[in-house]
Amino acid sequence: MMKKWLILVPIFLVSDVAILLVFNLNSAPAQAGVSVTAHISAICGNNIKEEGEQCDGTDLGVQTCVGLGYVGGTLGCYANCTFNTSGCTTGGGGGGAAPPTAVTKVVIQGKAYPLSSVTVLQDGKIITTTIADSQANFKVEITNITAGTWTFGIWAEDKEGRRSLTFSFTTSVTSGMTTTISGIFLPPTIEIDKTLVQKGETLNILGITAPQSEVSVFVSSPEIIEKTKAGTDGLWFHPFDTTPLEEGSHSTRAKATSPEGLLSTFSQTLAFSVGRELVTALCPKGDLNKDKKVNLVDFSILLYWWGRYHACADQNQDGIVNLRDFSIMLYWWTG
Amino acid sequence: MNFNKFLQILIAILFCVLIPLGVEAVVLYLEPSQGQYQLGDTFIAEARIDTEEECINTVEANLSFSQDVLRAVDFSQGNSILTIWVKPPEINQELGLISFVGGIPGGYCGALPGEPGEPTLLGRIALRAIDETDTKQNTKPHEKIAKLQFLDSSQVLLNDGLGTPAKLTRKGAVFTILAEKLEVPKEEWQEELKKDNIPPEPFEIEIQQDPAIFEGKYFIIFSTTDKQTGIDYYEIKEGKRNWKRVTSPYLLEDQDLKSIIKVKAVDKAGNERIAEYTPEILKKPFPYWIIIIIILVLVIVGWIIYKIIRKR
Repeated sequence: MMKKWLILVPIFLVSDVAILLVFNLNSAPAQAGVSVTAHISAICGNNIKEEGEQCDGTDLGVQTCVGLGYVGGTLGCYANCTFNTSGCTTGGGGGGAAPPTAVTKVVIQGKAYPLSSVTVLQDGKIITTTIADSQANFKVEITNITAGTWTFGIWAEDKEGRRSLTFSFTTSVTSGMTTTISGIFLPPTIEIDKTLVQKGETLNILGITAPQSEVSVFVSSPEIIEKTKAGTDGLWFHPFDTTPLEEGSHSTRAKATSPEGLLSTFSQTLAFSVGRELVTALCPKGDLNKDKKVNLVDFSILLYWWGRYHACADQNQDGIVNLRDFSIMLYWWTG
Repeated sequence: MNFNKFLQILIAILFCVLIPLGVEAVVLYLEPSQGQYQLGDTFIAEARIDTEEECINTVEANLSFSQDVLRAVDFSQGNSILTIWVKPPEINQELGLISFVGGIPGGYCGALPGEPGEPTLLGRIALRAIDETDTKQNTKPHEKIAKLQFLDSSQVLLNDGLGTPAKLTRKGAVFTILAEKLEVPKEEWQEELKKDNIPPEPFEIEIQQDPAIFEGKYFIIFSTTDKQTGIDYYEIKEGKRNWKRVTSPYLLEDQDLKSIIKVKAVDKAGNERIAEYTPEILKKPFPYWIIIIIILVLVIVGWIIYKIIRKR
C-alpha cells in the first residue's frame, strides 16, 4: 500500500532544487570574484593577434605591406607584437629600425578615479605608483620581471585622501611575452558624514569613482540597494533615508559600473549605528602600528603576538591573535 | 512501473542534481590525484586550490601521508599563489604530517578570464617511495598503496574582512608503489633543482622599532620569493658577526645600529640573493674638514710656540 505522504517527497525535492537554482543564480554575481570585468586581454608571443596588438608572430590579422601603404613585399611581426615592415618595398630605398628584443613584461590598465594616485603591488610589495588621467584611466608597465606566478594588487587614493580597497589578481607570467591585463575598474571610494544617526535622519554617503559611472549603494541589514550617478568629476553622493532601518549597527558599501560597462568590486564597508553609539576597534583595518599602511611591519607585529592576546593585533576581538586576524589584515593590505 | 519504483528513480535523479548544487565550495586538491611509482622513485605532488569563484586570502593546509611508504623529501614554495607565510611548510616524517599557513595580500579570486597558465598552486611536495615496513619486518618488497590527503583541520578563509571560513572540499591522492626498483630511479625533484639557476627575487631590509614588539627594540623585516624552487632559508650577518639562519621579524643584536646588516635569501637549489643595509652613520662621508682644522690649529700653535722660544 502506497503511503500518501510520500507524494510530498518529490514536491519538496523539486521545490528544493528550484530554491537552490534561484539562490545560486542570484548569489553568484554578488561575489567579488565573479562580478569584475578584469581579464587578460593579450599575451604577446602566443601567435594569436589579440586586443591592443598589431600582430603576434605569424598572425598578422588581415594586414599586408600594401595595406600599410607600401608597394609590396612581405610583412613581418616583431617580438613586441608590432609590424616589421623591413621586408616591405617602397618606390625608393629605405632602411629599417633594429628589431626589438622580446622582453618579459606585464601591462596593467583600467580605471581608478580622475587624477588619482594609483599604487601597484607585486607579491604584496609596492613596486610603482602612477597618476590616472582626468577620465580615471591608468596604465602601468612592469618590465624586468621573472617568469612565474605573480600576485598584483592595485589601490588608489582619490583627491580627498580616501583610499580604495586593494584589487588583487594572480597571473602566470611567461618568459619573453607581454601579458596585458585590462578591464580593471577599482571599487569606488566611500565615506559617510556620520557614524551615529537617529532613526529617520538622512545619512549622506559619498565618494569618488570614474566619471559618469552608475553607483549602487548597498545598506544592510536588511539589504537595501539604491542607485546614483557620478558626475563628470567622478564624485558621487547619495542621501540615504534611515527610516527603514532598525535601531542598532548597520553597514554600507558601494560598487560601480562605468559608462563602458566595466564592473568594479565592492568598496570598503563602513559601519554606522542607528540610535546608539558604535563601538570602534582599537586598531581598525589591520593597521597595527597606525602608520596608515598595512604591510609587512603590521604582519610582523601580528606574528609576534601570534597565539596570544593583544588588544591591537586581535582584530576581531575574540581573545587570541590567529588566522582570522591574519585574514582581516590581508583584506586591508596596502603594501 | 509502479509508483514506488518511479519515486525511487525520481529521488535518485534529484539527488544527482542536488548534490552538485549543494557542494559548491573551495576545493583543496592534489595533482596528480593518482599515480604509479617504483620503489626509490622521487616524484612531485602539487597541492592546489580551486576557489570556485570565491575570493579567499588565507590557507591553512594540514596533510597526512603514509609515512611507512613515502618519505616527504622537501616542500617547494616556488610559484605558489601564497606570498606571505605565517607558518612556512613543516614536514614531520615520524607522524607523516605536512603543514603550512600562508596568505595572499588583497585576496585571490581564481584565474582571470584568458589566463593561459594555472595560478592555483599552493606548493609542491617532493615524495620518495620507500620500503620502511619491509626493511623493518625483513619481508620481501611487495606492491603498496600510499595516501596523501588534506586533513579536516585544513581551512581556507574568505577575503571578506571578517576572516570567515570558506566551505571546503578536500581531495586526496592515492599512489601505487610497485615493489620493483628501477636501476636508475626517477628523480623529479633533483631535476627541478638542476634546472633552477635563477636566484630569489631582489628584496630590501627594513629596520623598524615599535613599542608593541621586542620591547620597543630595533628589529628588521625582510621577505622575498623565488619563482622556481622556492625559498629555502634566510641568513643574517650583522657587522663582523658570523652568518646565522633567521626568520623575519628578527631582533637585531646591534641595537646601536652601527653595523652593516646583510640578509641572504637562499633557494632550494642553493642560488643566493643578498640584501644589504648600511646604517646612516656609516653612509655619511668622513668629515675631512675636521682634520684640516686640527692641522691648521696645530700649525698655528706650533708657530706661536716657536716665536715665543725664539724671543727668549
